This record gives sequence, structure tokens and C-alpha cells, in this order.
Amino acid sequence: MTATAPAAVRAGTSADAILGVAPKEVFSPATIEEAAAVLEEKARAGACVGFVGGGTALGLGRPPRRLDAVLRTEHLTRIVEHAPSDQIIVVEAGITLAELQRAVGAHRQRLALDPPLPERRTIGGLLATNGFGARRTRYGSLRDLIIGVSLVRADGVPAKGGGKVVKNVAGFDLPKMMVGSLGTLGLVATVTFRLHPLPDSDITLVARARTARGVRELASAMRGAQLEPAAVAALLQGERFDVAIRFEGFPAGVAEQRDRLRQLVGQEPGSACDILSEAEARALWERHDALRTAGPLRAKLAFLPAALEALAEGPLANLMGALGEPSFVLYPTLGLGFVAGLPKDAALVAQAVESVRGSLAGTGGSLVLEEAPHDVRAHADPWGPPPASFELMRALKARLDPEGRLNPGRFVGGI
Amino acid sequence: MENGTRASVSAAPDATVSRSVVARMAALVGARNCISDPSELGTYESDGLTSFRVTPGLVVLPASTEEVVAVVKLARENGLALVARGAGTGLSGGALPVSGCVVVALTRMKRILEVDLENGFLRVQPGVANLDVSKHLGPAGYYYAPDPSSQSVCTIGGNVSENSGGAHCLKYGFTANHVLGARVVLGDGAVVDLGGPVLDGPGYDLTGVLVGGEGMLGIVTEVILRMLRKPQATRTFFATFPSTDEAGNAVSRIIASGVVPAAIEMMDRLAMQAAVAATGLDWPDVGASLLMDVDGPLAEVEHTSRHSVELARAAGALEIRIPKDENERALMWKGRKSAFAAVGRISPNYIVQDGVIPRSAIAEVLHEIAELSKKAGLRVANVFHAGDGNLHPLVLYDARVPGQEKAAEELGGAILRLCLRLGGSITGEHGVGAEKVAYMGEMFGEADLETMHRVRCAFDPARRLNPGKVFPTPRLCGDLPGPYVPHPSELSGEATRG
Repeated sequence: MTATAPAAVRAGTSADAILGVAPKEVFSPATIEEAAAVLEEKARAGACVGFVGGGTALGLGRPPRRLDAVLRTEHLTRIVEHAPSDQIIVVEAGITLAELQRAVGAHRQRLALDPPLPERRTIGGLLATNGFGARRTRYGSLRDLIIGVSLVRADGVPAKGGGKVVKNVAGFDLPKMMVGSLGTLGLVATVTFRLHPLPDSDITLVARARTARGVRELASAMRGAQLEPAAVAALLQGERFDVAIRFEGFPAGVAEQRDRLRQLVGQEPGSACDILSEAEARALWERHDALRTAGPLRAKLAFLPAALEALAEGPLANLMGALGEPSFVLYPTLGLGFVAGLPKDAALVAQAVESVRGSLAGTGGSLVLEEAPHDVRAHADPWGPPPASFELMRALKARLDPEGRLNPGRFVGGI
Repeated sequence: MENGTRASVSAAPDATVSRSVVARMAALVGARNCISDPSELGTYESDGLTSFRVTPGLVVLPASTEEVVAVVKLARENGLALVARGAGTGLSGGALPVSGCVVVALTRMKRILEVDLENGFLRVQPGVANLDVSKHLGPAGYYYAPDPSSQSVCTIGGNVSENSGGAHCLKYGFTANHVLGARVVLGDGAVVDLGGPVLDGPGYDLTGVLVGGEGMLGIVTEVILRMLRKPQATRTFFATFPSTDEAGNAVSRIIASGVVPAAIEMMDRLAMQAAVAATGLDWPDVGASLLMDVDGPLAEVEHTSRHSVELARAAGALEIRIPKDENERALMWKGRKSAFAAVGRISPNYIVQDGVIPRSAIAEVLHEIAELSKKAGLRVANVFHAGDGNLHPLVLYDARVPGQEKAAEELGGAILRLCLRLGGSITGEHGVGAEKVAYMGEMFGEADLETMHRVRCAFDPARRLNPGKVFPTPRLCGDLPGPYVPHPSELSGEATRG
């Protein structure tokens, strides 16, 4: 065995800062072994470490309490294994989603995950932030697609959970544990996913809804009619919503669902449901992606689907009123949405944020600031109140990272 | 199951629970719901893996979260281990008691507490039977997707602990994909709500960690389940093949064509013979068969079922049967779902194995299993979820013949090692439990197991819940680090903690 080569290192600059905290050093290991060696060394030194993938979600969370080193996964971009006939892939964390999709696309497969910025977002970053797109409607989120993970713990020890087969219940579910953990439990080294076949046919329709209630009713009607859209996303456009509905599958099924949807929508007076051309569909989904990455303030909302109207007409309207150029993307079947815009008055926005949180608290809903200017952060915690299980979360963190050195303080409740 | 005579685990001399503790437990849950009579404890000494038996010290059947809390606290005061249990249908010894423990049987907690069609979830107690959830939702046009073969009896609480699967998880996922949240009682008696009906609550996905925790992380007293709208149409067909080679090839072709079957099940000749013996179905005596469901929007399934039938024919199917009505379809599925128990008709004893292989290796693996079976001089019936490579080889033996039982166990072990060699898993849906602890060290390295153990310690540092499962060797938790000690750089003002 040869000794692991030391990872490339340079001095940190303000460009490497995570939420305003610049690291002293930035490591770019070429292999997972090098990454483990970096973490082991940082463990010995008692140093605090943050992880950076594509750098698209660096606005999420509280500023780290301390940041001695940043470990970038930019060179950990290998496809470890792709078994097309088993529909699984194992990749290193630094590979971008787009690159993964190109590799599996050659075999008419895909990872059924479609967040914005696929060319920039890395698999490790997506896992750490539980990134998702509109196809979550049908295919679920990352937790439903991940089947294995290997990580490097805070002490530099590599460990793995799950496996390479879709069905597997051996051992505790470390893959799901890592979803959304924001680099606080370990470095994501490799991820194993189940893949789906690329659909033969794909169509997007757009229906209009005057209110949030209309959006929800349309979603209910589709469910009632046993339609199975791959994606449903409502984009606020002026005073109304454009509801994008995507069907995928074999041509016969797609065509039949398209026709049934048009019939369903046509029953409402004054409503219509347009079939988009390929170019129009692409433009609409690009608009969706743009809204999902809009700023400088962007809040993710999670709510019970039936609570949408009360939310949209009450506290959410106030929040949007406190923003310049407000935008709103809504996933009515999931009970998730994103509001973005330019805060006019930081204190007022923070107040509106708290009021949305207050209205959601009773049903377990949440508002998380994915991006927010410094002055808003001064008045509002990006995560909101910690959940009921917070003590258990702290215990989990304490067991995996006993010295609290990984992204300290950045996560929920200051974990 | 007929293999109750095996005794591969010999229980330690039964520890008894003191009479005063029994009396206090009885006061907590009611005398009728507190079992300490040795003749009655026998019912609880094993789950579906009847070859592993340990007599518990005491069995309690609480009726509420509050009662579970009181039981846990009393057990804790007296240093007693706790083993939660549902219907006891598990096949890995996940609910195997430890000597002198308190078994917490949750079968009295079987109420459906809340059904919210609008928001797509329901809240149930852990003792609700899996199938009862779908029965309850059926009239409204909804169902609960995971469907283990024992679904008419097995409980949601047990499903959560074992992350149960079923025939239809290829398309719809496992229990973990359908549990939105849970109320759990931890080993110290604390009640914690994990997750909830709203998605993406900030923080770690503790619900995802809990599901499949094999009862070692908490005692589940309420579960929030996702319900699904029934698909518009389902199409089923049954195809027979000269051998498992052609059947396996048909599976590969169907999957490669882009069809995602709702279920695709394979049985070999022996398994089919057993199913015929048990149910009287008129299945022919051939080398293998497939039973496949596609579901979804009507036009889609018309296409995918027709296409799959063509592919099965091209792969060498002898005969394709399409059920003419729901009754016939139900009968076909009954044949498949009764296959385990049916094997009891053709063999005095058998072991159910549960391993996973990469789907594409099906034909190869079946040949190797046949070789192993020949070498051991024991018959193996194969029933499996072919779409996801989840094998259920049934090793047949006669316990009255000296040495056969041991040979059967060794053959089962050899099959698991074969799964591992091909990059698969030692369990696809039954869990590690007590049965497979010895294989965990072959699938995972020491650091992997130690990391999983840390997860356990976060939930249950006293290791009071279901000890002896999952991990091959006993492990201590160690103390959590003490209060935070500021780093010198913080004290000097160089860095701050927000």
C-alpha cells in the first residue's frame, strides 16, 4: 500500500466564504482517500470543516460558528459504477447532476431528480440539501431514489450504508440519514441511486388558475380522475397562476392523459388548458427553474395541501407584499412552495416570515429561508423554530461528530 | 411454519421478573394485559422465525402511548430490556425476546386515529393490520402501497420496524417511502414525534432512520402513513416457461424496454407445485412462471401489458394466461402469496431465505443455487420478486433425518454469501433480526457497523430496546461528550459561536 498523496490545498479567500465566514484553508482532494486523510488531519488538529460542492446552496443556514477549512469535492467526479441492466449507478459526490444524466442518458435512463441548475449542482450538494424539482410530484425526492451512501466521518473514518441493490434492509438507513443533513454528519463520498427508464414521450400542458384555491382544486380533480402527472407546478404570473402539468410515459398513455386533462379542465367555465410545443414547454420549465433560484430572498414553504388558501390569502400575501418583484412557485400535490423577491424593509419581511411560521406551526409546516440578505437574517432565523425531535437530532449529531467540527452551527437550531 | 423443532438458539436459563415488578406492570396496563404465567409466555417466545425461541420475563399489552411510557419507565428502573412486538409474523427473529425481558405487544393499539383524504395521509396505531389500512381507504378510492405477503395479519408497527416490502415495492417503494412520521417512545420513556404529514420538516430525516430500525431505536406508538390514489387500471398476466432461464430473460427484456411493472414475481417448478398443492390452482407442471402486474392510467397499462406479453413470448413463454376477471386475478395472486406456507405441503420442514442480487444476475444465481442444492442433497424452491432481484429460496428438509437441519442452515448461508459475492444484500425485506447478525460482518465493515451503532446510541444510549439484533457483536455506547468547551480561538475573539 502506498501512502495517500496529500490533497491540494490553498489559502482561503473571501470567495470561499460560507455565509460570510472565510476558511483559512481550502482543500481539493483528488480521491476519497485524500479527502479522508484531510478529515483525519483536521480531526487531530481540532479544526472545523465545511464542505462545498457546486456552491449553489451556500446561502442556506446560519453562518458557521467557526470554519478552519473547506473541503471542495470538485475533483471527486468519477462514476464508480453504472449497471444499466440493474438500473443503478454509483457516483462520487462531486459529479454534477447534468454529467450523471448524460452518462445514464446514453442508456436511455435517468435519475428521476430534476432540480434547477443541474450543470452546477453536485450530487453531494443535492443530497446535503435535499434538492428537488417538479418531477418530485411523481418520483418522490432524493430519499426515494438513494439506495446507498459512503461517507467520511468527522474523524476521517470512511463508512457506508445501504447497498447497490434497490431492495435492501440490512443495517440502519445511513443513506436517508444523510439526506438534507447539510454536511453536519460527515462528508458524502459516494452515492448510489436507483435509475428510471427515460420515457418515450413527454408533454407539458398549461392550465390557468385565478387563485391558490383554483390550483388546489385542479390538483384534486386530477387525483380524482386518476391522472398520474410526472410534474405539477404552479407559477404565479401577475394575478393568476400558470399551472404546468407534465405527463411522461409511453405515447398512448401520455396522449390519453393529455386528452382527459383537457376534458377535465374544459368543464370549468372560462378555463382552458393549452398543449405546449417542445420549445414552449422548455421555456416554461426554464421559467420554473429561474423562479426556483430567484433572490435575493427566497423562502421554502412546507404546508398541508389543504391549508394552501388560508396561507396564500393570509400571511403569505403579507410576505409577498413586503417583497419587490415577488415570485411564487407552488407544488400543490406536495404541499411545498417557494417565494422569492427583493425585501423592501428587512424588519417588515422578518416579521412577515415569522407570521407565516406562526400560521404553519400548528400543522407541522415550516418556512426556511434558502437565501436572504444579511439584514433580514439579523431579524429572522433561517430555519425557524427547531422541530419537536430536536433533542434527538442533537444526540445524532453528537454521536456522529462528537466535537461539533463539521459545519458547526450552520444547521437547524445551531447544530 | 413447520420448522419449530429446530433449536439453533438455545435460550439462557430463563431469568424471571420479580413479583413486585409484575404487580406494578399489571397495575399499569391491567392484570388481563400483563402476562407472566410461564404457560402463556410461550406464545411470545418467538416470531415467525420459530427456530429461535427465548422465553420473555413478562409480556405487557399496553393500550396507549401513556401506558407504553409507564411500562418503559418501570422497565428502566428495574434494568429490564424491552422488546416491542406486533403480530409476530417477522421471519428474521426481529421480535425474538431476550431472556427476562419485557415484551411490549402492541396488538391492542389497533385504532385508525385519523384519515385525511384531502392531504393524503392517515394516522394509525401500530397494531393496525397492514391490509386493514387499505380496506379502510378502499371505499374512498385510496390504498396503502406496501403489501408484504403476510399483510392480512402483520401490523403497521412491525412493518415500520422492519421496513417491510412486498410484491409491489418495485414501482411503489417500501414502508420507508410511505411513512411520513411517527410517535415513538424512546428507551428512557421520552415521547418524541418524528416527521409529520407535512414534507421536508427542517432537520435530519429521523423518520427515515427510524423505519427499518428493527425496534432498536424506539417503540412506535403512532404512525403517519401516506395514502395513494388507486390506479385507474391494473393488468395482470401469468406466463409459464420451460425453465428459469427463459423466465429470467423475460424479466430482463421487460425491464429493459422501459416498462416499470407494479410487480413481477417468479416461481420455479417446485414453488409452483407447492402452490398447486395448497390452493388447487390449475397451473401446469413447468420449469418456471412469472406473475406480473402493471398499473396506472388505462391507455398506458393497455400498452405496457400488451408489450410485456409480447416480450415474454419472445423470451420463450410456453403459455400466457390473462385473468378474465378480478376473481381470477385474485386467485393467481393467492397462489403466489401462499407459496411460502404451501411449501409445508411438500416438505416437513423448510427455511425461508431472503437475499437480494442484482436483477440481471437472476439466471446465473438460480443455476448456482441449483448446484448448491444438489451438493447439499436438499431441495430448494424459489419464489421471488424478480423485478428487484429479491430472492426467497425455500430450503426444504426433514428435521427427523439427522444432520439435515444443519445442512439446510448451511445451504441458506451459502445462498446469502452468493448474494454478497454478486454485490447484493443479505436481506431485502425480512430484516437482519436475530437470524442474520452473523452475516452483517460479511456485508459491512467494522466502521460501517460502528457508524450504525452510533445511530442506535443516539436514540437509545442504554441499549434497552431489542438488544442483540442487527449487530454481530455487543457494543457499548459510551458517554456523550460533556458540555461544550470553547475553542481557544473563540475565547480570544478570533472566532465566534452564533
